[in-house]
Amino acid sequence: MKTYFAARLALVGVMLFGLLCITFAITYLVPGDPARLAAGPDATDDMVRTLRAQYGLDRPLAVQFTTYVGGLLHGDLGRSLRSRNDVRDDLVRFFPNTFELVTLSLLLAVVLGVPLGMLAAAHRDTWIDHLARVVSVSGVAVPAFWLGLMLQLLIALDLGWLPLGGRLNLTTPPPAPITHVLLLDALLRGQWATFADAFRHAVLPVVTLCFPALASILRVNRAEMIETLRQDYVVSARAQGISNFRVVTKYALRNAMIPTLTMIGLRYGWMLGGTLLVESVFDWPGIGLYAVNSALSSDFLPVMGVTLLIGVNFMLANLLVDLGYAWLDPRLRRTAS
Amino acid sequence: MRALIMLVLVVVTFVAPAAAFERVGDKKILVFAGRQEVPTIDPSIKYDWSIRMMQQSLYDALVKYVGPSAEIVPWLAEKWDTSADGKTWTFHLVKNAKFHNGDPVTAEAVRWSFARTLKLNQGPSWMLSDFLKEDGITVVDATTIRFTLTQPFGPFLAVMPWWYVMNPKQVMANEQNGDLGQKWLTTNAAGSGPFKIKRWEPGTLYELEAVETYWKGWPSKDHIGGVIYKLVREAAAQRAALIRGEADIVEGLTADDYDQVVKMPGIAVPEFPGMTTFGLKMNTQRGATRDLNMRKAIAYAFDYDAFLKIYNGHAVLEDSPFPKATRGYVAVPAMYRQDLAKAKEFLARSPSPNGGVELEYVYFDGLEEERKMGLVLIDNLAKLNLKVKMTATTWPNMVARASKVETSPDFLAVFTTPTSTDPDAVAYQYHKNSWGKYYGSSFYSNDGVWALIDKARLLTKWTERAPLYAEIQKKIADDAPEIFGMLMNRRWGMRDHVKGFQFCPVRFTGEVDLYPLAIAAK
Repeated sequence: MKTYFAARLALVGVMLFGLLCITFAITYLVPGDPARLAAGPDATDDMVRTLRAQYGLDRPLAVQFTTYVGGLLHGDLGRSLRSRNDVRDDLVRFFPNTFELVTLSLLLAVVLGVPLGMLAAAHRDTWIDHLARVVSVSGVAVPAFWLGLMLQLLIALDLGWLPLGGRLNLTTPPPAPITHVLLLDALLRGQWATFADAFRHAVLPVVTLCFPALASILRVNRAEMIETLRQDYVVSARAQGISNFRVVTKYALRNAMIPTLTMIGLRYGWMLGGTLLVESVFDWPGIGLYAVNSALSSDFLPVMGVTLLIGVNFMLANLLVDLGYAWLDPRLRRTAS
Repeated sequence: MRALIMLVLVVVTFVAPAAAFERVGDKKILVFAGRQEVPTIDPSIKYDWSIRMMQQSLYDALVKYVGPSAEIVPWLAEKWDTSADGKTWTFHLVKNAKFHNGDPVTAEAVRWSFARTLKLNQGPSWMLSDFLKEDGITVVDATTIRFTLTQPFGPFLAVMPWWYVMNPKQVMANEQNGDLGQKWLTTNAAGSGPFKIKRWEPGTLYELEAVETYWKGWPSKDHIGGVIYKLVREAAAQRAALIRGEADIVEGLTADDYDQVVKMPGIAVPEFPGMTTFGLKMNTQRGATRDLNMRKAIAYAFDYDAFLKIYNGHAVLEDSPFPKATRGYVAVPAMYRQDLAKAKEFLARSPSPNGGVELEYVYFDGLEEERKMGLVLIDNLAKLNLKVKMTATTWPNMVARASKVETSPDFLAVFTTPTSTDPDAVAYQYHKNSWGKYYGSSFYSNDGVWALIDKARLLTKWTERAPLYAEIQKKIADDAPEIFGMLMNRRWGMRDHVKGFQFCPVRFTGEVDLYPLAIAAK
């Protein structure tokens, strides 16, 4: 298992370097002059040159790349031309918000999607199955921003049950950061009112982001469960008089979970990189908005920082999924050994 | 069915009860919902509307633009005088101005602030860098500062309101690696303005607190106790926030939204003629639009009323290259309006008398008004047998394309807000030195006009400058470097308990002077 883990970790390192090279090439080859944009519309050529020199953009591309990689090794992700802050500081500020949103959404999707997929498979062509199909089809078909706007109209505006957007009410004091994850920090600091307020603000964006993931997980889990429930060992288990509940939850689910786990891992990565619309609709200050605003200003270092961060998280999620395979399927553990 | 549901939702939304502004203790906190972030507040580094709204609140300048006529009034300087040759300006500071930490605002602080901005060579430094050097700034005594310019500069006073004064002691105490406090001033302030920072959460909200002991005093006893500038990026969400009273002022509604919310109880939509021009800049040095007759044919073929229709009538057509609020503005006689006979006449004189040319119209992707204008252009130019290809692109790409004559498109949709009411601020957009900037994408070339612009900016007597600018306007219009479009009216959505709003045309699109605002509600 240790060898397996080490091999996977080494692969993550190689992939990260590849990601770094590709991202650098793409961001620096797109048209646009970041220094001119950052200097402002009235800036003279001399002012643009000053800014370019200050940020090292006047140096050869190879030098810029090696400087960037050298900085990375020391935890320095460079400085944003747009925000004028260290990219690392910006990521520390914005990433926990996205992490919180994605994690809560994925948790909700798993908690609802896996049992619903399992139930739909175990009760094929009943109302439960029809409901699951409606959820899975609409979850894929409905655009997240549209769903977000509809939820805002209904739940926030008309019924007034939940806030329209943002992270906290304007006068709610935020907790002093410990983990930078707002809900967690509010809990750790014992600020219950802040926790409740943050939770209320999180509900609509979490539901919006959760819906497509829920649909995918449900669909995959249902399909795999149906396939698994047709297997000989399931028939055999039933013939031995083992209860249907036990057959489904203990024996079938474990095997059906491998593709579902893959889907969860992939979904985590997609959600990290795809929160922009939800963040925009709900004014959620995450890295999606940060990355897009930076990209629209040709501010490359934040784009690279976000890409790397998402890449690392994506790869770690996949590493966990790989380890999860080994945990679920003993044959993989033996192969790895 | 879906339309019906939407209608019901909208109606229910409109009748939803409105809440009020925020309160902190006995202070009334105004909530401003804006679309644009405030990435930095360093007065030497950058300005746009949201940045400048904060800078104006946190800092003071020697003078200030006030009111719809953009009058320059004394602020940190109580009076000033200038030498006969216009090269020396002496400002006498008020005696009671204090920075937020209690330090007095001195001539040395003014000198240091100007020198810092010039040295960093960013933000507003371009306004004075050709005329003022560090050694030309002299402290005469504790409350007197003298600027000696390298040559006379007519618009000198007109750019002074954008040079804010910082507290050098406070800034230098936070300097890192010789950065003159750049890193610290990104999210901290060292000013003497009517507000100070209370909370700064980049990407979310920015909260300012009124300085009760502000040296200049407050114009109203009901003045706001603070401001929360909250980022609300979607126009629909801004409208909802205004209707529900979750925001007291919003700035980013669509033309249709403004027309709807103005009819609702409790909401006001102040409207003023703006200084932001919109034009379709034509590349005067490349392709079919290089030819003057072709440009005039296009200018006469365009349906100018379409501009007004797109903004539901909340705009006025340009009748000069200069906005009406610009000093020295003159209406150019026989400004271009749709006249197909004339258009065909000019086309016949062009190298493509029968049309048959394809032209590219580049506009900002996502800006619906600019897309509609492109459609109007397609329709209008089809009558001259000219095809128009529409290209939607991002702002960086627009700026990149506008930077070179080879890549600048046949038409570039451009909004431009001048930095002052001085005519030089607009005229210089047609100068060779503006080539490469987005508003210089016409690469307009006319030695006679450039000479007039250069001459006019060096003069200090208005009576000498005014006729030159009148001539400049006529000559530029005659060269048709763009389809001179319209001036969109400035509008904000406000709860009606917000009082004291003062419009000033030189403020950028969404910018509001927060100092005079009051909340008249219990």
